Order: sequence, then C-alpha cells, then structure tokens
Amino acid sequence: MDSNDDPRPTLAHRSVSNIRASGGQSSGRESTSGGAPHTPLRPLSSSVFGSPSSARAEEEIIIIELGCRKLRIGFAGDSTPKRFVAFDAEHDKRAGDYRAWGPGYEQDWRKRTAGKAWGSGHELWQLDIRGQDLALVGDRLERVLRDTFTRYLLVDSKPRRVSLVLPPVAPLPLLSSTLNTLFRNFQIPTVSLLSSPVMATFAAGVRSGLVVDMGWNETIVTAVYEFREVKTWRTTRAGKKLLEETRNFLVNALQGRTPESQPEGEPVPNDIISFEECEEIATRMLWCKKSEKTPAQANTEGLPTLHEADESDTVDPAEDSTPTPIHLSSCRPSRTIHVPFSRLAEPCETTFFETRYAPACFDDDELPLHLLVYRALLQLPLDVRAMCMSRIIFGGGCSNMIGLRGRIFDEVSLLAQAKGWDPIQGKGADAYRNNPKLKRNANKQADEGAIPIIQTDPSGTSGEEPVDEVEEHIRQEKSYKAPTQGVLRAIDSLGPWCGASLATQLKVPALAVIERDIWLQQGVNGASRPNEIDVQAQQKQQRQSVGAGGLIRGPGNQASNWTLGVWGAV
Amino acid sequence: MASFTPYTVPAPTTCPAKRANLTARPPPTSQGLPEDDEDHAFDPRSPRSNYSLYPLEYLLYCVDCHQIRCPRCVSEELVTIYCPSCLFEVGSSSVKTEGNRCTRSCFQCPVCVGPLAVQSLESAPEASLLSADNAASSGPTGPWALTCSYCTWSSSEVGVKFDKPQGIFAQLSKIRNGSNTGPDVSLTAGDTSPTKREANLAEPESTRARFSALRAFYQSQLASSSTGSSMAGGMGDYGFSSPAALTRIMSIYSGSSSKPKNKATVMREADIPNEGFRPINLDESQAILKLRAGGYDETVTMAQAASQTEEGAHFADDLWPVASLLRTKRAKRCPACRHILSKPEAKVSNTRWRIRLVAGNHIPSVTIKPLPTPGVPPPNVLAPLKPIQYLLTFKNPMFDSIKVTLATPAKTPGRFASKVTVLCPQFTVGANSDDYDLNEVLKAEDRDQRDRRRDDDGSHQVEAGKVFERGRNWVSIVVEVIPATLQIQPTPSLLQKADEPDADPAPLREDEDILEIPMFVRLEWESEPSQDQVGVAPSGREKDAKEKRELAYWSVLGIGRISQD
Repeated sequence: MDSNDDPRPTLAHRSVSNIRASGGQSSGRESTSGGAPHTPLRPLSSSVFGSPSSARAEEEIIIIELGCRKLRIGFAGDSTPKRFVAFDAEHDKRAGDYRAWGPGYEQDWRKRTAGKAWGSGHELWQLDIRGQDLALVGDRLERVLRDTFTRYLLVDSKPRRVSLVLPPVAPLPLLSSTLNTLFRNFQIPTVSLLSSPVMATFAAGVRSGLVVDMGWNETIVTAVYEFREVKTWRTTRAGKKLLEETRNFLVNALQGRTPESQPEGEPVPNDIISFEECEEIATRMLWCKKSEKTPAQANTEGLPTLHEADESDTVDPAEDSTPTPIHLSSCRPSRTIHVPFSRLAEPCETTFFETRYAPACFDDDELPLHLLVYRALLQLPLDVRAMCMSRIIFGGGCSNMIGLRGRIFDEVSLLAQAKGWDPIQGKGADAYRNNPKLKRNANKQADEGAIPIIQTDPSGTSGEEPVDEVEEHIRQEKSYKAPTQGVLRAIDSLGPWCGASLATQLKVPALAVIERDIWLQQGVNGASRPNEIDVQAQQKQQRQSVGAGGLIRGPGNQASNWTLGVWGAV
Repeated sequence: MASFTPYTVPAPTTCPAKRANLTARPPPTSQGLPEDDEDHAFDPRSPRSNYSLYPLEYLLYCVDCHQIRCPRCVSEELVTIYCPSCLFEVGSSSVKTEGNRCTRSCFQCPVCVGPLAVQSLESAPEASLLSADNAASSGPTGPWALTCSYCTWSSSEVGVKFDKPQGIFAQLSKIRNGSNTGPDVSLTAGDTSPTKREANLAEPESTRARFSALRAFYQSQLASSSTGSSMAGGMGDYGFSSPAALTRIMSIYSGSSSKPKNKATVMREADIPNEGFRPINLDESQAILKLRAGGYDETVTMAQAASQTEEGAHFADDLWPVASLLRTKRAKRCPACRHILSKPEAKVSNTRWRIRLVAGNHIPSVTIKPLPTPGVPPPNVLAPLKPIQYLLTFKNPMFDSIKVTLATPAKTPGRFASKVTVLCPQFTVGANSDDYDLNEVLKAEDRDQRDRRRDDDGSHQVEAGKVFERGRNWVSIVVEVIPATLQIQPTPSLLQKADEPDADPAPLREDEDILEIPMFVRLEWESEPSQDQVGVAPSGREKDAKEKRELAYWSVLGIGRISQD
C-alpha cells in the first residue's frame, strides 16, 4: 500500500476506497487526494464485488485463524487454507537440532516431557495466561508463520495485509502479543480482526446461528444474530479433557483395570503413554454413542431418516464387544491392547456428556455440552432463539469425532422436548404448572391483560393476531422466502477460516482494523475501549453504509480512536 | 549414559555444530526482542532461547551495517519457484492462480510420502515382454492410476482412475471438485438467473465447490441489493468518500426519494444446496460401522491427515494423492540497509550462490575440546563437582587481527548452576592472511600442534590471564568448569512428582543435564574503511586511516552432559 506512508489523514478514506474500488490502482489514486471533498468516482455497483481474479491480482490478503493448538493460514479467496498446522513440541527445537532424526528419539519422550504439564508443548498458549511468557507465544507464532510463508504460501517479505480470525473473548495480553509479533517481525501494514463464530455462520450461508466450537481448551457456544455475537457460553469439556480421559482410559486398559477400580482422586500418571499417542488414538479410534432415546423426528426436515436396514444384521455398535486391537508403542514395553469396540465410546461419554450425574452437580465451567447448548438457547431472547435453534453450527477439532455432533443435537432435542423452552424448572415449577387452580388464575390474568407468566401461550392469541404491515410488505417481495426458524436444525459450515476468506474477498469490513504505525506507537493501551467510542459517530457510519444488506459497516476506526473490537473490552 | 549420542562424542572438535560449537544471537535491536539483554545474562535454559540461537552456519553478515543477521531478521525476495520433484520452474503468476503445488504429474503418496508414478491398471501381460519401443507403440492402455512403488498404494484404492496418463493434476482436481469449479470459476453479478446457475452448478459436494457456490450466492446478493437501489448506492458513495458534514446533508436530501427502494431488498440467507447451504448429516452410524469393521489400521494417522491438502480425512479411503509442494529460491537482504546478503543462482538445477555473506567469514569460530591430560582419556560425561578444563580455540577468519573480550556469568543460569571460569578473558587473535593456501596452512598447523604435543607435553602452562596456545590466526584459551550436581533438591515445584511409585530418575527436564555456558563475545578490530562509507569514516586522518569496529554478541557453548550418578 503506497498510502501507508502517511496513514493518518487518509485513513478512513482509504479503508472505504478499499471497499469500493475495484482495482488497486484506483484505490491508490484515490487515497492520494487526501480528505478534501471531491467528486466521487462513479458508483461501481455491480463490479465492486466483481471477479475474484482481479481481487487476487490487486492484493493478496493473508488469513490467519488463530487457535490454541492449530493455525490455519492461507490467502483470501481460497477455499481451503494453504496450510493447517498443529503445534507440537518439535516446534520448540533450536535451529540445527537434528536429534529428532537420531535413533531412539521416539522412545525418549519421557525425558523430553519430564517436569512439564501434560501436553503443554503442544499448545500455543495455556488457558490461564497469568504468569505465562507471552513473548514466547510470540516467538512460537513467528516461527510457524515464517515457516508457512516461506514453504507454503511462497511469498516474499513484501508488506501484506492480514486478517486474523480470533475466537470470542481472546485474552487481551494474548492478542497484544500476537499483534506485536505480526507488526514487528513481519512487514504487515494492517491487521483486521474477525470473529470466529461470525465467520463460521458466514461460511454456512446464514446470518444467524448458534456456533458450537469444540476446541482444545474449551467448548465455546456463541449465539450469532445478524452477524453479531450475542452471547458466549463456555465449558471446559473440550479436546484437552478428552485427551486426558483417553489417557486414563488407555492406562486403565493397559493395566487391566476398569475405570471403577481406578482409585478416586489418584491421578493417572502422565508418563505411561505419550501425549502424541493419546491424541493419535483419540482422533482415530474414538466414537460417540447415540443417545439412549432418539428424539421424535417430527419436523426436522434437514435430517435424513436413519438407515436402520444395514444395522439390523449386525450388532449395535454400542453393545459390540468384539475386541479392537490398538497398538501402543509409547508404553514400556510396547503392547497391543484389545478393547471392546463399545468401550471406545467411553472417553467421549465421560468428557462431553456425563449423563449419569444430575445437572446440578456441575460447576458453571464444566457443564456437559448438550446441557450447555440447551441452556444457551434458553437464555437467548425469543426471536434470537428462534433463529439460532434452527441454525446450529458445529465446529472445532472435536466435532470431527464420529457421532458426536449427532449426539449433541439429539440430546438437545430431547431436552427441548422434555422441558420446552421454559426457563423456570424444577419441582416447584412443575407443581405450579400442574396445579389446575393456579393455571386457571394465570389464564384469567392473561385475559385480563396482565403480564402472562408463561411466555408462549399460542392458543390465546391465535384468533385475532394483529396484521403487521411491515411484515406483509416484506412477504410480498418476490424473492422473499420465510427464514426457517423455531425448529431445531443443524447446518454445516465451511468453517471460520473459509468464512474469513470469503468475507475478505467480498471486502466485508472487519470488526476492527489496526494499523501498523499506530500500533507501534501506542500499543495495546492506545486502543479505545468499545464503550468509549462516540456512539453517534459510529451509528452514523453504520447508517451510511447499510448499502449491502448491513454487512458493510462503516470504516469504524478513525486514527484518533481505534479499537480492538469486541476483544478490547476489559 | 553412552546412548546420548550427540554429546558424548569423545572428541568435541567433531561435536555437532548445533550446540557444542558457536551459536550466536543477533543483536536484539534488529529483532524487537526485549532489551533486557544489556542487564541480564543470556539464559540458554529459557524456552525463548531456542528461538534466537542459531548455529554459525545459519548466520549471515551484513558488511554495510557490520551486524550479524539471523534467519529471523532478513527480508526475503523470491528468485525462483520450482517443483522439487520435476525441477520445473513455475512463474509467480501461475502460483497465484494455480496454487502452491505442482500442476504437472508430481504426486506424493498419501500413506508413505514416496513419489507416485502413473501406471496402467490393465497392463497387457505381453507388453512387458516386448522391447521398450514396441511396448510404447502397442502400449498399456485403459484406465491409469497413481501408484506408489514403495508401499504399493494405488489411487484406484480410493476410486481414482484416470483416462489418460498426462495432465494428472487437472484430471484429479476434476474428479475431486466436479467439473464446474476451477479455482477461478465464479459467477459475475449478471449471472444470477437460476437456469444458468443450475446448469452450471451441480450439487456442490466438495469444499471448493461449496465455497464457490457460497461466493456466487453472496455476490449475487450484494449485487442485487446494490443494483436494486442504484440511486441510493450512488448517494452512499457520496457518503463514503466525503466528509461527514457533506454526508449528512446528502442523506437528508436523498433520504426521502430513494430510501424506500433501498430498504426493499433484504439480503437473504442461503437456503438451497446450490447456494452453498447444506444441512448437516448428523447420522454417522455408517462411519461408526466402518470404524468397527476397519479398526485402527483403516484410519489415517495424524501425520497422513496433516499432509493432505484438505482437512478432515479420517479413513484410509479419504486419502488423496498429494501434489508435491513447490519450493522457492530466495534472495536475502539486510532489513536495515537493503544490502544483499545472499542470492542464489536463478537456475533451478544450479545450487550455487551468487552472493552469500556468511557470518563465518566475519566472526571467529570457536571449537571446544577437553584439555588433554597425559594418561587420562577425555571423559564421556562430566563428573559433577569435579573441575575440568576445556580448551576453547578461537579462529579468526578476517584479515585484520581482532581483540576478543569474553564474559561469562560465574554460574550458569538454571536449576543446576555450574561454576565457570575463563582463565584468559581478553586476548588478541592474529589476522588471517590469504597468501597461503588455507588448507595447507591448517594441515601444517595441525601437524605442528600434534608434534609439539607429542614432544613436550605439559609445556603449556594453564595459567590465569595467559593464552594457552597461539597460532597464526588462532588462539586457545582454557576454561575451567565445575559441573553442578544433578541431585534435585526437594523444591516445592518438584514435590508433585515425588509420590510416584515408579522409581523413575529425578524429573530432569529435557536437556537440563547439558552444561551450557552463555558467553558474551566482544570483538574489536580495525579495518580499512569500506569504499561506500567514506563519508562515515572518521575524518581528520589520512586516507589510509583504519576504522575501528566492534561487534558483540552472545553465544552459547555446549560443553557436555553432566553425569547423573
């Protein structure tokens, strides 16, 4: 970007010209004219979002999806990232350390991991970032990025813009460290921040959705409504816990114990099976049982019917006790264990569901997934819930486990069938609801015009529903189709990376854009808090730019007050 | 203990360069590394050190800035992009359109990463008996497949067969993505009539097809919402590219006329498969049955899945041949002065460098060996708490004599602090000269040294403040180390491991038993002022005035492993 030399006066202007102009030359020309009023170019209405080849030619924007275990890196406009890389301990090696190719290296894993937390070498950062060396995070990130740029993207050190896809509520120190790395070690003029769940919904082709991201440290459930994050829930039942359960499972299997005979409270030693092997087995062999009851498949049009025919001749996998051989090479001595196939679903069961305990047993940060999804939906406002419940999107590494997504969906459907969408639950509520006396009162109250206690009472108002003129207007639109809502439905997304790639190619502005010079001057403390921003100015900008269906929100960030978007809130 | 191969080499002169030799760290200013290096000794134990230590061979040297440049602080330029398998050069524009993989017929086996070869599936039995040219004429026909000659994997296992043996990449991407989607196929905004789209796009199955379907959908939505209100769009443009005041006025005036039209188009969601929408298939009982039938061996390893170009492979038949990744030759420049540090030959087959300013030509190399004591073989591992002397030999590659100043912390950082004493921290190393054949000189010196040692052992005195041995362009000094004992004191952080029933050795972290000495090296020398820096050279002297230079850096000396007994 030639205009990078003097970003301040042309800043807002330039980011807009990037949205609008079709070619790099014109954006450059425009931006040199400064902030003075001038005759605008002809509106480029249809060719704005024109052929992607021109978009590629003008600038290659690099999309980085930042995860705790995985990075996805590639160019905007590509359907798949050029590289997906999982962090492992090998990334920490010194340059020129070739011992990994020496004999006996694999067997020596106990020495290498001694004194470290389980799997800590495989994470870019720990969930608890207090006391963590964040500069080390930056170092690791830099090495991976440099390697990827060199070997996979085949780019030189020319300045390139970067879009960073971040999980919701990424810790601020971590974001700061990441941005420091990007700006200081690479010649990156701007970094745009995009929200991972919003991009996941974008990549699913919808505007709202409940994104269930089963990641490494946490499973994060985010409700997205009209491309905005509404609320986020999280639980620690995610990949890390799954691997710990897998380790315990394998160690028990090795020692011929059942999980019940494993003494409570005694930790399973880390150094029997290596982290790598646990992960290998967890990704390859684990599967998830179906829920015990199947929900009545009344109006789930998206779901195909079950293929029961093939299963009739074989045993149900959940009862199958045929021993499945699993070769373990990291234990001493290496052994092949035989595990009944049905038991391979146990780690998943204990990690994600734990149905044997009552919902009240769980802490706030360790709710089972189905319960979390159900409660998330329950806490949403009615309209948002109606949209989100029919757009459930699963993502994250753990969602690849066979059967897990279906199981969560079924469990949520069961919960919804059993409990409805009434936030008041428990014996008292049931008694109250079943009490005919009180019910009559409630109805009477509703008829009298007081506030109804139970929100949904369709029978009462169906007769004289007031005609909503605006709604009618919208319905008469020729290409109008009523959005699916109110039924539970899961849809498939191409994933946050693809969403970001698509959005960047279509020039959808990011939540926040950070300029290199400003960052280097001011650092993370220079960012305005989102609530300090002049709301009116923001709204004005948003109103102006409603052009493309509200997707385009104004330039957002002036040089005077730039933000880190939702991540800057403390 | 002898199984620790890299550090128990008896003669540390051949000790692997990575650690036992010199590893230098570039000056922190070029890096954005924390500036605390001035105050604190470099800690080779800290996890960050792994990212800033490079063996001498990795380092370049900028002759303009007189600074060491490490791989982290150079800016790079592409010289050539080529396929390492077929050595075919690829233009950078085609990399942009075709991707970063070879588009000819270079494929890697997804199972064992061996190269794949195109083979006919139905080779006529007599064709192999015929001579080569006959076989070419009658030739094997029929469907072709990519096969690995190492592990005998064949692409026909995953149902991939080719009609002709050429253009495998194109055929494969057609099979994989359907016929409709090249990387650049997208619909322009006018192309939104449903008939054409349905003709164009079958049910998108692959990721790429879905991606382009989604993109087409969003493009059509964005286009229709902006063409539906061209007037408003135009006004919006005024708003975009003008100051806020003007915008406000414009929106006031234009609001009444065009707003209703503008509002009328609602951007909708994708809801049919052709628009990239897909309800998820949550019934995975087929996959469960497959997992049960196939077992562990039918699933892909994580390494195999990671080598795939798309994520999500789970079973062995999800594996696709992997087109080989292109490679680049790069020129490197100094980030500060843009001076070229290294530049390879542009030709793919030529592995030479046109320019390569390696740091080894500018900073002295250090070799370590134990001080030979008569009658005692050099130990394999360092005995704890037993003083041992090492010879550090600094060899000057430059044509100016350099003054070397060394500094080490008295105790090495980390849990196990060994004591280090450099007996002679300051000395001068003579200049290298080019009027000898270097190899001969080295050989002669080696011979001399050996002779001398054989003749009068112990003639050199290990004495503080004195150089142990000196040659034409090298100097040996003595460093005395007292290795720490590796007995773990019961510190709280380690207590958690103590209750283990296993009689494991103490939880020594990886490589904690290696004795590494951080050493700050400061070089001072006087050299001819370089021609292009005449203005910078100290003025007021004669033309041949020497220019004083200095260079300082941390390095880490890996001495050896400390015995754990």
